[in-house]
Amino acid sequence: MNQNIKMKAALFYFFSFAFMLQVVAQEDPSSVDDFVAKLNQAEENYYKIINIPVPENLLLEIGGVATLPDGRVAVSTRRGDVWLIENSESYIMNGKPHFKLFASGLHEALGCAYKDNALYVAQRGELTKLIDNDGDDVADVYQTIYKWPLTGHYHEYSYGPALAPDGTFFVTGNVSFVDPEWWRGVSAVPMRGWTMKITEDGQMEPWATGQRSPCGLGIIDGELFYTDNQGDWVGSGGVWHVKKGAFLGHPAGLVWTDKIENSPVKLTQDELYAVIDKRQKKNDQGDFIKPENETNETAVLFADLKEKFPEVQSPAVWLPHGIFGISNSQILQDNTSGKFGPFAGQILVGDQGQSKIMRVDMEVINGEYQGVVFDFKQGFQSGVLRMDWLNDGSLFVGMTNRGWGSAGNRDEGIQRLIWTGKMPFEMKTVKAMPDGFQIEFTKPIDPQTFLKTASIEAQSFAYKYHPVYGSPPVNNEPLKIQGMKISEDGKTVRLVINNLRKNYIHELRLNDVKSADGEALLHQVGYYTLKNIPEGEKLAATDLVKFRSGMKTAAKSTTKTETKPKATAVASNTKKQPEPVDVKAVNKLLQKYTCFACHNADKKLVGPPYKEIAKRGYSDAKIVELIYKPNPKNWPDYATEMAPMPQVPKADALKIAAYINSLK
Amino acid sequence: MVDFPLNDLSGFRPQDGNWSIVGETAMDLNKDVHHFGNEGITVKAGTGILINRNSEAMKSNLLTIMEHGDMEIEFEFMMPKGSNSGFYLQGRYEVQLYDSWGSKQPKYSDLGGIYRNWETEKDKIYMGKAPLINAAKAPGLWQKMYISFKAPRFDATGKKVANAIIKLAKINGAIVHENVELPLPTGGAINNMEVAKGPILIQGDHGGVAFKNIKYRLMENEAASVSNVTYKYYKGPYSYEKDYVNKKPDKVGSSPEGLTWEMAEVKNFFALHLTGDIDIPSDGNYYFSAIHNSNLSLYIDGDTVIKNKRAWDWDPPTKGSIELKKGKHKMDLFYSRADAWVQPSLGLFIASDKMQSTPLHTFSSLVHREAIYPMYVDADDKPTILRAFLDFNQDLSLRRSHTIGVGDPSGIHYVYDYDLGAISCIWKGNFVDATPMWNSRGDGSFRPEGFPIYLDNTLQMDLLVSENQKFNSMIAEDQYTPKSYVINPFTKTPVFHYEIAGMKVKDEIYPDVITNSLIREVVIEQDTLPKHLSFRVAHGKSIMPLEEGFFNIDGKYYVKMETTNHYYIKESGDEKELIATLNIPKLRYSLIW
Repeated sequence: MNQNIKMKAALFYFFSFAFMLQVVAQEDPSSVDDFVAKLNQAEENYYKIINIPVPENLLLEIGGVATLPDGRVAVSTRRGDVWLIENSESYIMNGKPHFKLFASGLHEALGCAYKDNALYVAQRGELTKLIDNDGDDVADVYQTIYKWPLTGHYHEYSYGPALAPDGTFFVTGNVSFVDPEWWRGVSAVPMRGWTMKITEDGQMEPWATGQRSPCGLGIIDGELFYTDNQGDWVGSGGVWHVKKGAFLGHPAGLVWTDKIENSPVKLTQDELYAVIDKRQKKNDQGDFIKPENETNETAVLFADLKEKFPEVQSPAVWLPHGIFGISNSQILQDNTSGKFGPFAGQILVGDQGQSKIMRVDMEVINGEYQGVVFDFKQGFQSGVLRMDWLNDGSLFVGMTNRGWGSAGNRDEGIQRLIWTGKMPFEMKTVKAMPDGFQIEFTKPIDPQTFLKTASIEAQSFAYKYHPVYGSPPVNNEPLKIQGMKISEDGKTVRLVINNLRKNYIHELRLNDVKSADGEALLHQVGYYTLKNIPEGEKLAATDLVKFRSGMKTAAKSTTKTETKPKATAVASNTKKQPEPVDVKAVNKLLQKYTCFACHNADKKLVGPPYKEIAKRGYSDAKIVELIYKPNPKNWPDYATEMAPMPQVPKADALKIAAYINSLK
Repeated sequence: MVDFPLNDLSGFRPQDGNWSIVGETAMDLNKDVHHFGNEGITVKAGTGILINRNSEAMKSNLLTIMEHGDMEIEFEFMMPKGSNSGFYLQGRYEVQLYDSWGSKQPKYSDLGGIYRNWETEKDKIYMGKAPLINAAKAPGLWQKMYISFKAPRFDATGKKVANAIIKLAKINGAIVHENVELPLPTGGAINNMEVAKGPILIQGDHGGVAFKNIKYRLMENEAASVSNVTYKYYKGPYSYEKDYVNKKPDKVGSSPEGLTWEMAEVKNFFALHLTGDIDIPSDGNYYFSAIHNSNLSLYIDGDTVIKNKRAWDWDPPTKGSIELKKGKHKMDLFYSRADAWVQPSLGLFIASDKMQSTPLHTFSSLVHREAIYPMYVDADDKPTILRAFLDFNQDLSLRRSHTIGVGDPSGIHYVYDYDLGAISCIWKGNFVDATPMWNSRGDGSFRPEGFPIYLDNTLQMDLLVSENQKFNSMIAEDQYTPKSYVINPFTKTPVFHYEIAGMKVKDEIYPDVITNSLIREVVIEQDTLPKHLSFRVAHGKSIMPLEEGFFNIDGKYYVKMETTNHYYIKESGDEKELIATLNIPKLRYSLIW
């Protein structure tokens, strides 16, 4: 368990600042603090976080949020309480929200829904209906709608309910972990790792399985979607469409498909393991070995299995781990009809570990949901777990981080997020095209900034499906952009790409693209999960404009002009005169690969300062080796282990190594 | 606010006759309408009080002729024991009037609750809402209600696009609803179709009720707005507009989002001259209210509305008013910042006699990032003693410094003035809000939560040697010395000991749950007492004797004398005083409210 948490923490720390890359800084940021400050400042202009004055001794470790018809908000907490909050929209100093304790004594209420004058919460062991008969805002009846078995393992959390359009309730359940293979999620009793559909009168219909840690449920377009967190078998977090009868990935729940009544999923664990090695190996002492990432294997993608197992349902939108969260939570559709800004109809996804909210937009291609994810708003005070809309179009956010930590330094709480009314310059959405992608912007772009070769960096990659905890990005391939077409109004750009790959995640990173009035993009990167490539007309070559190389940055920009790039020596064993290191270029690499998140030249952060590393006298090649396979034993004073970074290309790793060594 | 005249019933539609106008009324604390009907209600002829005394034959509801949309209204009401009435906004949304005295966990059917309706179809059911606290006073006392109501909004086709909202409802000064939407009419509405304007309906078939001092303000569904906002931005720490108004601005531009400070490139040391067109919906007097960090000036058409006001966003709003005609006017707003230690914030609100207060600034221009997390102290588990400054009558200039709050699980609390041996105030509900003293440096004071009744900030003992002697003229405050308070081992409540004019006194104050009252026992601990030693039990504009030893003080609370002292009512200037002679060393009385 320790290992898992440490690993998760390491990855979290490493990637927790990766998303900051998406702000175009006026100057190359010289430090982590600089990054955070700039991103915060930029996002603040458009979306502001408002603190809600909560009485100091009121612990709101939020597990559920539901807005009521009279404007009040019901929240359920991990301490087992349900509070009714009145006047939470007040933001003027003299107005305070009022808190009333509606119910208490529940067992970790991780969700709250309102229906017909009652509140429904999923506790660890049951779906409970809370009824106030005498109208005094205190629950009188705690009715068991449906209960499910538990082993008593702490990880068997139950989430929800999500209210389906037909008035039934969706509830999901976490797997648990047992010795000796503590890393392998198991479904020890029925419905762990499953989605249940429960009626008001307590009938339970098994709906789908393959879930590991299904914290975030949400109804989008009347359908159930959920988020899962990176873990064993789950290469990265993502947003899944939970169709009836779907197998969503984690094998644990499959043990019940032939044992429970009317299971809509037929696939058994044995059938799956006949095709995928579950790597249950022992060492010479007879102990089980925890599976680790194999670097020299052919990656199997979960989506690859769909042909053999039609029930396979891969994510609609992958949320690349560390960049888009490390513990994705609630999904919520923006149904404020514009009160919350220009993204009406799109989907917000919370993240507990990175204390932020991301934005997803989906489309249906060949009957399947797929789409793109962007960053949206960071800086919440604790781990974002649940959200709902207030009647004024602002977002009520419920948080907790107990047990896992978060970027936000508070343990719990509630905050509001409002739109300032100002239109941000963002990629509004990315749509798949028969020959590439179409990016739509919220404001017209300055085409000149888009035509520079360096304006777009794009690659595609995927995650492995294996019993290892998480997956590094694999099979990376830069995208070959043949050309583009910019619309007349400057708001859409079609990119024609030669090497689209079905089932791969396509990263589109826009550098230095500016709007027609000189504004920088608020968030520069989007990741599109291309489950299907749509049919249709391709653009003719004559329609396309190609990138122009050698275009200088516009003179009016205040960025420092690029110095002559200078590759540092690809050092190895030969002793050479240390060549001048191009610090600016290396800084860009340190940003790109998120080294910034934990390392600094002089200061001890999460990891040792480069100067200290330089003192160890490693050769450049050795440093590269350690980047790929860190050895925590070298740094006993540092609590958080460095995560392996096999995705850094060797040439770049050598440049970084040379830079580090130059600091001796 | 305008008065709703109660000289006659001309403001109301015809009714059975159970409603009438009188000059005075009293309602017996102990006579429940269910058993005694209207027996406990006595009246004196005159005008100013609207009263209902229903019977089998006469029990109609009362409807105003006036119809309202958005409205602010406040009134005083009195209920006999066990009575039940209701105040329907627009004739459709009932705020319950009920004798909820002593009720612990108030429901939607208690005083101030928004009543439920009796529909059975799923989409039509509304279960009402309980008041945040039970603010009910004892029957026979005058109580106060304030409601700020926003009517539902409809689009051009008549379809409802926004629910009716109770923006604020207070009973006896305590908030019972704040920003609560009313999705549907409540039970017994005159009509289930919601409307832009409707009359007030008061229920008259369930029991007696009396009203006086009805004041209201009708508001139109109109609003003011600001457009074409442009700005001139100046870098530098400026306090007054004269310092920068003639300088060359560092940046100019327009603000399509509206009135805000957010176009400033920095958070501090800047000034903004914002101009815009303000569109006024109708002729009238317009009241501007600003909440801001740092300096503000406001001119409309060149006339001064606010001049060089430096304030912080936690201060009371800066106000200014000006008469304006309907149409567009030019607005100049000067906002400058020379203080690094606060965030910029700028909020400008406009209201008129018939227009709701509306913000003219963008949503995010006034955003309080540093929320203050309130610190409440409760006495739910056991009697709780907490010492803090107390602003007598909520008046800072009357701050008492040696006061002790005593809270009790029964919900009956008081503050003892340990500098005087007097009770500063009494209240029911939650104990205290200690945020004023525990937030950051604080100001050392706390606030009783709910609706305190302030009693005394002078000594309650004196030697009344001559007939017309004013109270507090013989024994001076420096003859009083606090000694100790001892915790009663059974009740866990404090017993105060002090010395006054050479005498030792024991003062024990404790709640009695059964009678829902606060009992006070004052014991002089010596055998011989000076002549003329007197204790002022209560004082006010009016003291009405009811039965033997039972008095109604100003309609605010009752005093019940429970010892054999000689007591009498004394006139003193325009006040009346209830004096007890301390001919025996013990005095006991209870306060009921």
